[in-house]
Amino acid sequence: MSVRRKYSVTQLRPRIERFLRPILQRCRLRLRYEITEGPIQDREWENPDVLVKFSGPDVELLLENKAELLLALEHLTIQMLRLPSEDHERICFDANDYRLLRIEELRLSAGAAAERVRRSGRPYQFAPMTSRERRIIHLALRDEPGVRSESQGVGAARRVVVYPIPSEQKSRPQPTLGSPSPGTTAQSAP
Amino acid sequence: MAGMKQLVEDIAKALVDIPDQVSVREVQGEQVTVLELKVAPSDLGKVIGKQGRTARSIRTILGAAGMKLNRRFTLEILE
Repeated sequence: MSVRRKYSVTQLRPRIERFLRPILQRCRLRLRYEITEGPIQDREWENPDVLVKFSGPDVELLLENKAELLLALEHLTIQMLRLPSEDHERICFDANDYRLLRIEELRLSAGAAAERVRRSGRPYQFAPMTSRERRIIHLALRDEPGVRSESQGVGAARRVVVYPIPSEQKSRPQPTLGSPSPGTTAQSAP
Repeated sequence: MAGMKQLVEDIAKALVDIPDQVSVREVQGEQVTVLELKVAPSDLGKVIGKQGRTARSIRTILGAAGMKLNRRFTLEILE
């Protein structure tokens, strides 16, 4: 996949700073942040154009409860910038490499779930995740034989479910259940 | 805590199309400070978000501020 960038740091930095700085000040959060170009990585999942990296005494607070606060700040910033949903992944907030480690963790659990479904022949449900995390699971499962995945549930409860593919159908593409969500073209909606 | 009223106002104004119509009223309770956010009807979706995610994000930030300031804040979006 190409690493064409759509958003530049120069273009977004002043807007992100103007939004974030007063929030951090009013919340008395002792955090510093650096806005840089995302690293160019040879992976098709999570290739952000702009990376906002936090450090400082309150970093742990950002990462508590599955990085709830970090993801809340990221979500509001993305909404403030009015990025269309297909561009949300071009902005990434991180602290202590949480996102990078989380991707590894998700990939590993996707592999483990696939193994389990193949062995048991029964579906496996992941815990609810954000759309970006679900997408990583779907991508990781794409190359796993004998299983397929889809997202189920609404809102904060939406989760990935992994199903076994009956062996005689393995070579054929699976019809997806339900209607695909708007704006997604992949065989499994993130 | 005038700071939190201003915080919600700043965030909301950055999110909506009609910032002039954003207003926040602060109602002080004994334990909790309620922040009542009002926006133009056409901007409601912008502060609530898909499946309520934007409102939830604002509440998460208020939660963090509450920990720092030793006070509970809740957000109410008035329709």
